[in-house]
Amino acid sequence: MTARVGGGSGRITAHDLTKRFGAVAAVSGLTFTVEPGQVTGFLGPNGSGKTTTLRMILGLVTPTSGEARIDGVRWAELDAPGRVVGAVLEAQGFHPGRTGRAHLRVCAAALGVPDARVEEVLELVGLVDAAGRGVGGWSLGMKQRLALAGALLGDPRVLVLDEPGNGLDPEGIAWLRAFLRGFAAHGRTVLVSSHLLAEVEQGVDQLIVIDAGRCVYQGGLEELRGRRGARVLVACPDPVRLAGALAAAGFGEIDTLPDGRLAVAGADAARVGDVALAAGVAVHGLVEERMDLERMFLQLTAGGR
Amino acid sequence: MTAALRAELRRVTSTRLWWALLIPVAVLAAVVNLFGGLLGDAVGDSGGDLPVLLASVAFTLTLVAVFAGVYGAVIAAGEFRHRTVTTTYLTAGGRGRVLVGKLAAAAGVGGLYAAAAAVVGTAAGLAGQRGGRLPGLPELLAVAAIGVAVAALWGVIGAGLGTLLANQVGALVALLVYLQVGELVLAAVLNNSGSPAAARLTPYLPGNAGDVAIYDLPAHALAGPAFGDQVVEQLAGVTAPPPWWGALAVLAGWATLVALVASAVADRRDIT
Repeated sequence: MTARVGGGSGRITAHDLTKRFGAVAAVSGLTFTVEPGQVTGFLGPNGSGKTTTLRMILGLVTPTSGEARIDGVRWAELDAPGRVVGAVLEAQGFHPGRTGRAHLRVCAAALGVPDARVEEVLELVGLVDAAGRGVGGWSLGMKQRLALAGALLGDPRVLVLDEPGNGLDPEGIAWLRAFLRGFAAHGRTVLVSSHLLAEVEQGVDQLIVIDAGRCVYQGGLEELRGRRGARVLVACPDPVRLAGALAAAGFGEIDTLPDGRLAVAGADAARVGDVALAAGVAVHGLVEERMDLERMFLQLTAGGR
Repeated sequence: MTAALRAELRRVTSTRLWWALLIPVAVLAAVVNLFGGLLGDAVGDSGGDLPVLLASVAFTLTLVAVFAGVYGAVIAAGEFRHRTVTTTYLTAGGRGRVLVGKLAAAAGVGGLYAAAAAVVGTAAGLAGQRGGRLPGLPELLAVAAIGVAVAALWGVIGAGLGTLLANQVGALVALLVYLQVGELVLAAVLNNSGSPAAARLTPYLPGNAGDVAIYDLPAHALAGPAFGDQVVEQLAGVTAPPPWWGALAVLAGWATLVALVASAVADRRDIT
């Protein structure tokens, strides 16, 4: 399994996508592109319109105006949409009296894929042992894995996941992250939503951040990080001299932290170390502060309010 | 479309409901026709010559219709109750296919209920009846076949209603209240309106149409061609009943109407 699967590219596009429920504007003029071969994080606080947007992409909710396309056409116009797009959505339920295997066999029949594929996906998500029991007694995490198994049944080239981390244990989240990476690495498209940046931060290449139904950021995760600049925290016995040397080297923003360390904005550890060595100042500790994306995310999404 | 039907068949057989409802159908058929058989026996003993069993099987079949409707309503609205409709729509690739699959499944299971009721009912009736006149096999088969068609159509109406309302309790209450109370009141109003034209509308109400279709042949077999229609009027509570095929066509018309409205509503519904 290499490169592209099937016909289309698997690109998802939204153009001026808008949905109003009565007087409430759930999504307002959302425009974005989700490229294949990458994992794209779809981020926003609860109630920001993520689920509505994903459901519009999947043809479950009709946009008030604008449109969403997959492979250049609307979901309903795809040939066998269930085999092009796999989805794990939040409000996706299961009949409690139906076994996991029976649920997947229903889906397999609808998709027109052989029953052997059911066993394959059960194996893939690690549910072979539980598959014979009614889903009513399953944990949230198991149901989440069953939903993923269902999404993968048709071997889709696009995967849309709404808050897939809900109910998964840390191990499951790590597994999912690795799985999505591998899925995207085959040239497929992954769009995964979350209200927690930390959840997607490690696994995504691109970000779409929305707030109150509007797009507030779209681009690479690294660019977002870079936009605000990283900080280097230096512990040294002579902060005054080091600060002078750093200022002379062109670092404009240098703060002293309450614990006495220097915080150097827009720097990396190697450069700060070099400057300290050149200035002959001892350095006791050098930490590149991981940019607090979570705070950045909060700033971004608080903009509308 | 084959894929949608296959998926629906698997949906039906992978939960308990279809046979859980078959049990009361079978029990009802057994009890009603055992009584019918005993009655036929008594009629035979008193020198009468009536195939009472035909009537009791027919009566059973009119009762089965509501089970078919309930089954259809539960499976269609259950998609919303268990929130499985998202997966169903995503995998089917078209809401029309899902609806057709549901209608077909409800019609099939409804028809199965009627067939089972006819078989169990006949067996119970024969067990209860040692003497007296028995209905002929062709008559019995004809009534059973009409009963199967009526139950299938009620399955369609139930599934349409369930899809339309997207609420299990709502669909069940609407169906049962209409059939058990609403239509009786409506028919009584029409029959007593003093207008013959209004009274003649009564056999065209869906519940009555099904009953008329089922009672037509047995009533004429029991009462003869001259009084058959009067017996149907009494049994179904209608005025000027059409023949069974006309009544069946009327019920099919109602089923089509419900299915079309359900389709229009389902196509526009946001699945949130």
